[in-house]
Amino acid sequence: MRPLRVARWILEASLPRDVREDVSGDLEFRFCRAVDRNGRWRAHLWYLRQVVSFCLYFTIERLGFGRGSGSMRLGISWIDLKLAGRMLVRFPGFTLISTIGLAVGIAIAAGAFVLVSGFMDPSLPLPGSDRIVSLLARDVSTSRYEERVLPDLPAWQRAATLEHMGVVRTVSRNLIAPGIAPEAISLAEMSAAGFQAAGIPAHMGRHLMPSDERADSDAVVVIGFGEWQRRFEGAADIIGRQIQIGEQVHTIVGVMPDGFAFPVSHSFWIPWQASSSAFAPRTGPGVNVFARLSPEATLAQAEEELASIGQALAQAQPATHEHLRPLIVPYAFAYTQMHELENVLALRAIQTALFLLLMVVCVNVAILVYARTATRQAEISVRTALGASRQRIVSQLFLEALALSAIGAAIGLTLVSIGFSQLDVALQQVTGPLPFWMDLRLGSTGVFYGAGLTVLAAALIGIVPALKATGGEVRSRLQSLSGGGGAQMQMGRLWTGLIVAQVALTVALLPPSMFHAWDTLRSRTPDRAIAGQDLLIGGVTMGRTPEAAADPAQQRAFRARYIAQLQELEARLEAEAAVDAVTFSLVTAGAELAMVAEAEGRPLPPDPVDYNIVEGSRQGHLVRFNRVTPDFFNVYRVPLQLGEPARAGEATVVVNRTLVDRLFGGENPLGRRVRYVGRSREAGPGYVELEQWYVVVGVVPDFPSSRAADSRSVGRMYHAVSAGESYPMHVVVRVAGGDPSAFVGRVRDIGAAVDPAMQLRDLVSYQDVAQREQGVLRIVGITTAAAIGSVTLLSAAGIYALMSFTVARRRKEIGIRTALGADQVRILTGIFARVLRQLAAGAALGLLGALAIERVLGDDVYAGHRSVVLATSVAIMIAVGLAASWGPARRGLRIEPIAALREE
Amino acid sequence: MTREALGEFEQLVLLAILHLGDDVYGVPIVDEIERRTGRQVAQAAVYITLRRLEQKGLLTSWMSEPTAERGGKARRCVKVTRAGTTLLRESRQALDKMWRGLDLELPGHR
Repeated sequence: MRPLRVARWILEASLPRDVREDVSGDLEFRFCRAVDRNGRWRAHLWYLRQVVSFCLYFTIERLGFGRGSGSMRLGISWIDLKLAGRMLVRFPGFTLISTIGLAVGIAIAAGAFVLVSGFMDPSLPLPGSDRIVSLLARDVSTSRYEERVLPDLPAWQRAATLEHMGVVRTVSRNLIAPGIAPEAISLAEMSAAGFQAAGIPAHMGRHLMPSDERADSDAVVVIGFGEWQRRFEGAADIIGRQIQIGEQVHTIVGVMPDGFAFPVSHSFWIPWQASSSAFAPRTGPGVNVFARLSPEATLAQAEEELASIGQALAQAQPATHEHLRPLIVPYAFAYTQMHELENVLALRAIQTALFLLLMVVCVNVAILVYARTATRQAEISVRTALGASRQRIVSQLFLEALALSAIGAAIGLTLVSIGFSQLDVALQQVTGPLPFWMDLRLGSTGVFYGAGLTVLAAALIGIVPALKATGGEVRSRLQSLSGGGGAQMQMGRLWTGLIVAQVALTVALLPPSMFHAWDTLRSRTPDRAIAGQDLLIGGVTMGRTPEAAADPAQQRAFRARYIAQLQELEARLEAEAAVDAVTFSLVTAGAELAMVAEAEGRPLPPDPVDYNIVEGSRQGHLVRFNRVTPDFFNVYRVPLQLGEPARAGEATVVVNRTLVDRLFGGENPLGRRVRYVGRSREAGPGYVELEQWYVVVGVVPDFPSSRAADSRSVGRMYHAVSAGESYPMHVVVRVAGGDPSAFVGRVRDIGAAVDPAMQLRDLVSYQDVAQREQGVLRIVGITTAAAIGSVTLLSAAGIYALMSFTVARRRKEIGIRTALGADQVRILTGIFARVLRQLAAGAALGLLGALAIERVLGDDVYAGHRSVVLATSVAIMIAVGLAASWGPARRGLRIEPIAALREE
Repeated sequence: MTREALGEFEQLVLLAILHLGDDVYGVPIVDEIERRTGRQVAQAAVYITLRRLEQKGLLTSWMSEPTAERGGKARRCVKVTRAGTTLLRESRQALDKMWRGLDLELPGHR
């Protein structure tokens, strides 16, 4: 048992280098003793207290304020430190609200920094990782990347500035080994050079060698450390064992060390055997090309050399290579696309927006600090009179702010650490293992960034109010303490301006955030349209070599085999007692593919579709399609509301209710025709034809509604196919009673028995699919809700501080007016007038901002609920403002005229 | 070598080290001060004082072998130097001189 990692980081970051090891070791030793004596939780609490204590003591010691240092540069003493602690305790409401706000603000800003850094500046855990590069080819006429670059590889390999160049692609095969259930696995089909480029030797046995790449060599496989431990229980005699991968038996020749997952997140490696000469230019399989810069070469030299090779290829093969430009990028960028300026700008914009959120929080806390400082004007004036310099008082107020922001930062960074571990688990469930260079941990960089934010926040919330509070009128304030009247601290234009600005910002940003949070929560509600608790879903694919995929004759044979195997699979599954029904579809329900469509004789929407449309027109309606076998709706238990099912081989289609509303204005669509006019990148050619008319023969309700991809209703079209007519297809099995997850092993066994090459991938229950997606959404939802909550809370606190100030300043006036018999309503109006003006000005500015944001982001920000969402947002802010004003206003009305006048 | 007078807490730390003997490090020093004075001390204050005393030349330190129970980290052992003991003795003599004559009767505290 060790202390929390984040707490250890913070401690070590705050300690001077010369004592870091022994102090952290001593505390860890004491922590172990505390666990034995007091239990785990108390020990963690004790350790966190020590971290805060050591941070403060050593920070002050480093700055030269130590007890024995005699002269104190900024005039801060231990007494100031104690005073800072006492002030936090004396104003618990202030401390609580400010700490929550700062914790959320720092957590979000630091978390965004770590995530953005992970993308922009990935650090590969490989030796000399900055010299590992990816090679891409961009078609400048279309601005797209060409992945079919295998035929160009021999030319690229002539570059003297690059070495260990090779290719890799991810393939999927069934793993069949004695004693373990057959399972579809992802393998890296990779040149042996990949291991040299990565620079990591095998843990046991050997890695792949160039000799393994020959077509006549024995089939071999290298496995990862994790797979060796998990599937083979760390067997010492693993080298030389044989496992069946797809249809071929492979010999395990090596185990790679723990953590090795090059090229992305792989743990099985088989040799690349396809020859680059087997394919014509710009044909063949899509591959990733990697290399390492030669020892003396620079990136610029390699870029230059590759560009000249590209030019030579363009001259030799103008038909295919005229517009093709090879380029070199840092290795991970080939997968994250972070060499594209628009991606960099988008990430930076998100990071800046989240940083600004922290600034909004700081401004609010600064208002609170200023209001609190105003209650201490007597103390400040007396200290000034006793000889304390302005610098010393400002330093003390800064130290108080630093203590506050340090507590906020400690909580915030702990939240980020916990949030990252949750996000890591949730993402792995949805997308599988993360790329090996992605480290979802706060790390020392994150902690240092958090420390920087802490000091920045302390400067903002401490120094600005302190300078205002110790301005030129301190002496006259001292006079006012002795009863002579005089100047008081004012809530000047700066603060009122800030309050207007933050109400505006909140009103502008609250609606999209509120709508997003609401949308997220809505998508978590169970789907009533589908009885999905007994459905099992998975993809069905079959392995084939790149040569087979390129040859038309082999393609036809492959298709015929796929259709036969799917029919066999269906028959065998239906023969199982536990199986109720089986169906196949191109994609799973909720993951349909986007197209642009129009209905015959119906007007088109005025605006073009805002989607990644790569072929045809954008003018029309955005719809999604699926290709399904006849039993599809029965298996999902979705009833046909109108008409009949579509039939395979006919140009007919079943549509959902939303499509009827959008394309046909809610009229009966049966017998009417629709056609596709634009194709999205995800849809790909070959599934449905552009410009082909399809007759609507049936209508189904909207389903599913719980999927992430389907959080907003969309028109859907279902085409009928027979099993295997599309490749690849998904199988959906309705299991009769019981947990469908328990049937996964049996389905895999049946699949492997039908054909060892058949892979049943990602077999999971329908509920699990939804839950996994919702895991990520939940984290996003919680973060959004926390941000909205803290900003709203701080806004309320800021308005409360302003109102308290107003009432305190006008205490005498209110007393006199009450004594003269003024109407309470008029007095209240007087008190509220200023805050109402500020709220109204802020709300008006905020509405303009919200409309501007909507214009920038597009029409779908509020999905047609704009007026409701904006009105709610304004109402919330006004209600919060008035609620915050109520307490001070009531205090104002209770002022006794005699008491107010006697204060004179 | 500094001739600056020792603070109270510095004296407590030096005396705790002398009581504990050889191979002393932070953890037992904190325990010893708390045991003998009967008051809780901030651990960070002890480590800061140790560092400061070493900078003044009143202590010497060396690192021991790392151990697993300390997360693989070494401990810093300390020893009072001759200058340290001299300054401690001078501090005591100064205090003794000031106390002389007041041992039995403190004004106002009969």
